[in-house]
Parts: sequence; structure tokens; C-alpha cells
Amino acid sequence: MKKHLKLTDISKDGDEQLDEINIDELVPLPPPYDKGEELPGIKQLTDDQRERLVCNLDGVVSYAALPKPANKEEEEKYVGQFIAGLKKLLSKENNWTFLQPLLLSIDYCARCQTCNDACPVYLASGEKDFYRPTYRSEIFRRIINKYIKPAGKLRAKLGGGDIELNWATISRLYELSYRCNLCRRCAQSCPMGVDNALITRELRKLFSQEFGWAPKELHEKGTVLQLEVGSPTGLRPNVAIDNLKFLDEEFTESTGIRVETPWDKEGADVLLIHSAGDIISFPESVIAFTILCNAAGVNWTLSSEVGGYDGVNYGLFYDDVQLAKVAVRHVQIARKLRVKKIVMGECGHEHKALITVADRLLTGDLIIPRESVMTFLEDIVFSGKIKFDPTKNNFPVTLHDPCNVVRNLGIVEPQRRILRYLCPQFREMTPHGVDNYCCGGGGGLSVMSDVNFTDWKVNVSGRMKFKQILEAFADRLGPEVGKYVCAPCLNCKLQLRDLFKYYGAREKSGIIYGGLAELIVNAMVEIKKPFINWEEEQ
Amino acid sequence: MSLFLVVLTYFAYVFIIAMYVVKAIKIARLPLHLRWELYPVIYEPKSKYGSGFQEDEKGWRKSQGKKLRKGILYLLKENLRFNDYFKSNRGYWLVLFPWHIGFILIVAFHILCFFGALVIIAGNPVTANSVYVIGKIFYYCILITGVFSFIAGAFGSIGLILKRQSDKNLKAFATPQNYFNYIFTLIVFLSGLYAWIFADPTFAQYRDFWRGLLTLSPVSVEPATAVHIILFSLFLVYLPFTRSMHYITKFFAFFWVRWDDRPNFRGSKVERNITGLLNKPVTWSAPHIKSGRTWAEITAEEKYHEKTS
Ligand code: SF4
Ligand code: SF4
Repeated sequence: MKKHLKLTDISKDGDEQLDEINIDELVPLPPPYDKGEELPGIKQLTDDQRERLVCNLDGVVSYAALPKPANKEEEEKYVGQFIAGLKKLLSKENNWTFLQPLLLSIDYCARCQTCNDACPVYLASGEKDFYRPTYRSEIFRRIINKYIKPAGKLRAKLGGGDIELNWATISRLYELSYRCNLCRRCAQSCPMGVDNALITRELRKLFSQEFGWAPKELHEKGTVLQLEVGSPTGLRPNVAIDNLKFLDEEFTESTGIRVETPWDKEGADVLLIHSAGDIISFPESVIAFTILCNAAGVNWTLSSEVGGYDGVNYGLFYDDVQLAKVAVRHVQIARKLRVKKIVMGECGHEHKALITVADRLLTGDLIIPRESVMTFLEDIVFSGKIKFDPTKNNFPVTLHDPCNVVRNLGIVEPQRRILRYLCPQFREMTPHGVDNYCCGGGGGLSVMSDVNFTDWKVNVSGRMKFKQILEAFADRLGPEVGKYVCAPCLNCKLQLRDLFKYYGAREKSGIIYGGLAELIVNAMVEIKKPFINWEEEQ
Repeated sequence: MSLFLVVLTYFAYVFIIAMYVVKAIKIARLPLHLRWELYPVIYEPKSKYGSGFQEDEKGWRKSQGKKLRKGILYLLKENLRFNDYFKSNRGYWLVLFPWHIGFILIVAFHILCFFGALVIIAGNPVTANSVYVIGKIFYYCILITGVFSFIAGAFGSIGLILKRQSDKNLKAFATPQNYFNYIFTLIVFLSGLYAWIFADPTFAQYRDFWRGLLTLSPVSVEPATAVHIILFSLFLVYLPFTRSMHYITKFFAFFWVRWDDRPNFRGSKVERNITGLLNKPVTWSAPHIKSGRTWAEITAEEKYHEKTS
């Protein structure tokens, strides 16, 4: 029986789980994925975990290090910190970066709930109340109205819906802020221009910038590691160079053409910044770029500066200060190399962070042109410098649109022009383009895997995407036909990896995933053997 | 009484305009924020399929001039059609739409009364059988907008109370103020309807009241009309304390956030703005921020050149 939550429930029974996710309530998947009971579902926490960890929302834990207050004083300290953080969020000094959008979203929501139907998490969950885009936003709004605005407490009493700010509220809001992909589908559907994803991100900022609470994969092992060592993967500059040298050799051998990746070339036209995760997990993507750039005669380079070979910027997901530090680092490197422009790798949030969001963090000679990989690849493909044979890609292909490239950046067609040209069996998902569904790993979730969080991602946040993929291939869903999901974004690929593994999509339906550059190289006349590897476990 | 009505009406209009202006200025003066646009940006040339200028910079630059007009037209149309609601929740639209149409028409009704009064002052009677065409036009326009606004608004108010109660999604988020608003608007619209039916079927009194308002020579009206005038004035005074400003802030949210894709060039106004903002102090408490410095100092802090190996 579905439980209906009230907004005020958030502050009640601090140690109790607010609601649970039932596999049979989730949006159904088409056969052969319709037997939910055959899958492991979401791992139940052990009694010991329940004792140690904060798990008072949905039985899922995204951050095991979230502290529990030892006593009333500590709880009050957290409440005080939360209010202090709210004041900073509303101040021009500490939050000039997003104050105007925040206030426009806080003050003018009509509570019409139109946005709920756009949210893949809410829909996939079988419409769980706490996953509504409006649930956390409305609570946040009421807390601001009560604790920050004049006569707020009195008005809250008179107006009803009075939310008590206590440990339960704070900890549940923390977890709730990581049950959202920041995909902004809800924002797109709001007639008032209210942006619930922005509110979610502001909440994350409050926790990170005031409390120092953020998922370890995003902060400690994310931006902090990137700024110190060079990459959240832990890959150091010399190791990155070594890895790629090795890959160059390996692919020279396997493709029969000379593969050589240039490093630190001063004055190059293009500084290409991949995600280091691609070097480690999807090396064929990185090599595909080397092959394409060299074949098209692009004057390009990679950088081995700390941070220069990893374009990710997790600050985009949770912290403006970290966002600014990483973005500035990227452009400083480009300036030092005196390149003409930076080209993003196949990484959606790198695009969003560096092309648009950070655009207003840069001044003087840090304002360096930045281009999307989609237009860059389009220019290469249609330059006439490389010969293609589209029949080499004669298998069903569909395109996953990374939210940060499409809805958040407005780059929709170049990748499609390439696919229409090079993939005879290209088909769109429904919906697609700026209306796409997030892969379920957006907002930094794809790299988070604490406790049982991955279970949630594959069962809930990635569900609508998986359903769409299956529907796009519905005409040939059997395993005998190899099918390719083109996902030109590292984080999306990481999420698809988890999804496909969990559901056995490769075995049951012959579906694999990969980037765009690999598909392009696969169609090159010069490359004799298939570049896409259908056999190997990804 | 007549004087009271005049003073109250003037006060209500001055109050609401002043409040809205102050609020709008407050929002407008907030600092420039980081880019956070969302596609489609409706005034971009390829917005049909969602694309932005990042796909084609030259094309975008050419289209700059047409931006404002295209955006405003789009939002005005949306404000009139409520298309999003029509698509997402038909039942809600069915009551929300007339409620808002009630507002739009009641505003139009008062604007027409204002100009109608000017027409009368200029010596052209506003009546059904006025010898001047303009008088006739004003007569019928005032009559139609008034009557339709009262009917649509009253219907919408009742409908919204029922809908908010019966739709569990809407009910969970409704506040007592929502219901108070609906009841208040219902009373305003019903009072207008009552006055029209029982006291002022051609709005002759209302037009006369407005003439008196503008010439500062108060005229007396029937109690039912007076009640409506009082309620409508109170409603105007109350409006700034509701979310009603979303009619206006919606334009800000779209133009200044959702569609704000102005790039930052060297030497541009945007760049000058950012330079100032980066000098603001940061006082966030988390240890990694090491606050007490400015944004510029924090972001420049990172010594990046040394290769760690
Ligand atoms: S955010 Fe927008 S769509 Fe969602 S409830 Fe508020 S006004 Fe409605
Ligand atoms: S940003 Fe995406 S996941 Fe988050 S609430 Fe909105 S629609 Fe849902």
C-alpha cells in the first residue's frame, strides 16, 4: 500500500526510515526485464549498518560518513549551522553566483506540481512522494520562510505546514539532495521558470560549503584529489602519459595505423581535455580521438599539468568554490600552453562547467574560447579529410543525450548529423534532444557508490533511461543482433555500465554502449578491423 | 463615503505599484549570476530543436536584436494560454485558466474604465447609444470585460478550492493562505457580479465613479457597487503579499536565468561585473574553503604548475 507523505513528516521520528522503495511499485520494464523478483533489488541494510549509519530516508545510504549527533547540544549545533548556511546562501557576498536564480525559484512557485511528471526519478519510483522535485524544494522554501524571513515563526504557525528544523529534517534533506540528477527536466517543464534542480544544488552547496559534508567521491576523492594530484581517478601526470603511451602502442598494433598522442605542445590550436576516467575505463574512446585528430590534421595537444588531463569538474554538482577552483585551473593550463581554444572531451558536465557556468568566473586572459566536442567532431567528420564507409556501422544505434550537453548547453544537432551520416540504422529514443531522460547518473551520482547507493541508481534513477533504450530497440531486442547505445559522456557511460551489468542487457539483448568517437573511427575506411569491440565484457 | 472610496482607490493603486516596483528593483539589482541557461532558449535561431548558439556562433550574433520581442511574445502567449497546464493537468487547467482570465479581464476592465473616464472628460459620452463610435466601443468593451471577468473569476475561484481539495498532489502542497486567496478572490468577483446584476447593469455608476476619481469630484454610488470598489481596493493592497508577482517575475526568471546565455568577452560589461564580484569576501565555514578571503584569492590560490609525480 503506497504511503502518502506530508511535508511535515520530514521532521518526525528522526531515526525511522521515512518510506521504502518497493521493487513492484517501480515503473515496469518490458520483457525480458519485467521480472523484478529475479533481480537482487536494493540491498537491505544490516542491523549493524542501521545502528551506525544515518538511514532515515529511503533505506539507501549515499554517504556513510554523515555524522549522527551524540546529544541534544550537538543537534542544536547542526540546526544553528544550517541557519547560518541559509543566511549565507541568501547573501550577495557568499552566493552572488546563484542568488538571483535562487530567489526567483524560492519565492514564485505556484505549487501546481506540473514539474513532477517530468522527473525521471519520481516517475520511475512509482511516484514516491519524497522524490517529487517539489518535495525537498517546498521544505527548503518553508524553512527559509520560517527561520530567515521577518516574523517567520509566527507566520509558519498561522499558515500551517510548519516545518521543524531538527536533526531529522537536516539529515533527510542531505540525503534527498542526492536523490536528484540535477537533470533539470523539472525546470524545463515549469511554467513559472522555477528551477527545482537549482534548489537541490543550493542545498548540496549549503551542506558542503558550511558543514563540509559532501559525498567522498565528489569532494575528498573528487575535486580535492583533482587539484592535488591531477584527477579524481588518482591518475598522476606521469602515469597518465605512460598509460597513453602504452595505449598508443597497443592500438598502433591493433589498427595498423600509427597512433601517437601529442602532449604539452605549446601554441597548439586545440587543447583537448579528456576525462581521465576514459583513459582508465574506456581507453578506446581516448584513442579514437587521437586517430581522428591526427587523420584530420588538427594541430592539437593534451596537457600533463595537474588537472590538465582530466576535464571533470565535480564542483558543478555540489560546491561553487570547488567549481571555480577547478575551472580556473583548466583555463590557466590552456593559457600557459598558449593554445587557441580548449575542446571538451566526451564529458557532459565538463561541457556545462567550463563552457557556460564558469564563463562568468573568468576575466582577462583567462577568457579562452572553449568548444564542445560535438561541433569539433562534426567539423572533422565533414571536413572531407577522412574517408568513411557507413556500412561498417550497419547495426542499430541509438543516441543517449547527456543532459549537460543538450538541455543545459543547447548542443543538439551536430552529434545527430554525424550519426545520421555514419550509422544507417540510427534511431532516436523517445523523448530525446532537450527533452531526453537523464541516464540516472547525472548530478555526480554516477561516480557515487557508497553503501547501497549503486542499487538505487540502477533500480530507480536509471530506470526510465533503461526503459527508453529498450523501447528504442524494441524491433530487434533479441541478443542475436548487436546494438549500440552512443553515450558521448564519461559519466553517462559509467552509469550505463552499472545499468547494463545489473540487468544483463548485453547477454539478454545484445546491447552495448560507448562513445561517439569510437563509432566514427569504426566507420573509417582506413581502419581495417572493427574498432568497436562487441565481444569483450565492458 | 464617496470621498473615502476615492482615497482608498488612489491608495490601493499607489500601494500596489510602489510595492511591485520595489520588489522588481530588488530582484533586478541582485548581482550577476553564473550562467545557468536551459534549452531551448526560445529566441535563438535554432531553438525549434533546442539548439543554442554554441552550435553556431555566427548565426547567434545576428539574431541578437530580435531576442527581446521574440521572448516577450512567447511569454505573453504562455500567460494567456496556460499551455503547460493544459498538457499536464487538464482538470487543474479547467479551473486555473478561468481564474487567471478573470484577473486579466478585471485588470483590462479597470484600464478601460480609466481610459473610458478620459473619453467622458473629453466630452464624449460612453453609452450604448453614444453618437461617438469611441463612446460605443468603450461602453461595450467595459461591459464585456467586466461581466466576463466576474463570471470567469468566480467560477475559477470555486473550482480551485474544490480542485485543491480533491487532487491529492495539489492538496499536499496547499497552504491555508491558498484557500484564503481563493475565498478572497471569490468574494471580490462575486461582489462585482452582484453589483452588476442588482445595482449597475450597464456599469454606468462605475464609469461615473472613475470620472469622479480622475476629476477629483467624488460621486456617490449604490452600496453594492461601493462594496465591490472597497473589496477590489483591498484586494490590490493584498496582492503584493501573495505570489501574484509571478506574472512579472516569470519574465525575469526566463530572461535573466533560463534564457540568459550572454557570453563573457574580454572588455565586456559582463567581464567588468565579474571582476567586481570576484572581490567579494567569502565567509563559508567548511574547512576546505579557508574563508576570510575573496573569491578571486580563493580561486587563484591553487598553485598548479608543479607536476606531481
Ligand atoms: S516548480 Fe513550477 S511546475 Fe513545479 S510546482 Fe512550482 S510552479 Fe509548478
Ligand atoms: S533535476 Fe531531474 S532528477 Fe532532479 S528533481 Fe528535477 S527532474 Fe527530477
